[in-house]
Amino acid sequence: MKAYLLVLALLFCTIPAATPAFAHHSTAMYNMGNPVTVTGVVKRFDWTNPHAFIYLEVTDEKGAKVEWQIEMMSLNHLKSYGWAHDTVKPGDTISCTGGAAKSGDPAMLSSLIKLADGRMIKS
Amino acid sequence: MNARRLLFPILALSCLAFGQGRAGRTVPPARIVSFTAKPESVQAGQPIVLTWATENPSGVSIDPDVGRVAARGTKQVFPTATTIYTLKVGGPNNAVLTKSVTITVSGTAATTAKAAAGASKDARMPDGKPDLTGVYGFAGVRDLQPPVLKPGAEKFKVDRTGNFVGGRTTLGTDCVPLGVPQTFVTPYPFQIIQKQNFLIMLFEYPNTFRFIPLDGRPHSADPDPTWNGESVGRWDGDTLVVDSIGFNEKTEVSGYMHTTALHVMERYKRVASGLQYDVTVEDPNVFQAPWVFPQRILPARPDEERVDEFVCESNVDYSKYFGKQ
Repeated sequence: MKAYLLVLALLFCTIPAATPAFAHHSTAMYNMGNPVTVTGVVKRFDWTNPHAFIYLEVTDEKGAKVEWQIEMMSLNHLKSYGWAHDTVKPGDTISCTGGAAKSGDPAMLSSLIKLADGRMIKS
Repeated sequence: MNARRLLFPILALSCLAFGQGRAGRTVPPARIVSFTAKPESVQAGQPIVLTWATENPSGVSIDPDVGRVAARGTKQVFPTATTIYTLKVGGPNNAVLTKSVTITVSGTAATTAKAAAGASKDARMPDGKPDLTGVYGFAGVRDLQPPVLKPGAEKFKVDRTGNFVGGRTTLGTDCVPLGVPQTFVTPYPFQIIQKQNFLIMLFEYPNTFRFIPLDGRPHSADPDPTWNGESVGRWDGDTLVVDSIGFNEKTEVSGYMHTTALHVMERYKRVASGLQYDVTVEDPNVFQAPWVFPQRILPARPDEERVDEFVCESNVDYSKYFGKQ
């Protein structure tokens, strides 16, 4: 199976810093000041309020598969960016850029996503 | 070692090493993904369905006849003459993208001259009172002066320090109702459905509602304490005045908790951009005097027909993401 490598944050440490009002919960548990990018294969896309989630299978440098929990904005914000329930699908290879959990857990609050066809879209 | 534990330090260090971070910002470009009309040829007055999809827009509209719309959607139109419909999409740096489709109406010439009609700005009920029916957005409170607290009431101030997982306007992540007026600060839309003798507010977050009678009734003698309280409304000219009591003690008012003595007085007046909103709160157990909030506009959302479903199923234990302190 093709190994999808973790992409270090070279290109996309330049995410939009002005995250829209994120009032359902704090963002303090995420390291928003030092955004990173992970690339992997979509396992599941939960299109739901209060926040949508992508579960992304990322292969690390040792070949181990790690499932990242990619948190996104609420549906009303995502729709205003042009998202729909099928913007990403299981099997898509995408890159997500955002603040990772300060704990080191494979979790992220994403603000920019590179879709399977290369389109960039706010998240 | 657990691979998960390795992953984040590598990521974080690599980002720091390259000196990236807040300095630069990638702003993805706006795009028109598609804009179609079906069918493209009709008899006068027959329906056409416009369908569009855009990405990363700062604003989207369709001319003529339609006006402001959501980033993606469908709209039925009934052209009486051959019409060129143009989708306009705003993007970064004031860029404007356009795409047009031509609907041919048999025996007529093309036109684009008619301006977008949009939603009626002056809809009225049969009795002449303003009809506030529609979807509206939230508005943050600017220049809010802190309240004067009663001696000993400092304990009512919400502590957002430390590993506080709630948001700037929420106390936690369990999606409980936000109360009044806190709900209008939180970034989810709400909807008004107005009838002759009552008005209902539907809040997307978290799919809760307010029922506001407009038939002149007084408050109940002893209302049950609830999250959104008990409201009664009346008209002062074209301004809707809503008086609310009967709140429980579980909601926040801009950084302060309150008691069941909370009393909220609101005024809603329709203006071109939405609802002009004034609110004053009282709680003799917490505040020395009525707390008057700066006037703000709850923006009209003519691009939205309704609020969304909201089922709070995707919450996680965010507290663990802080890590060891």
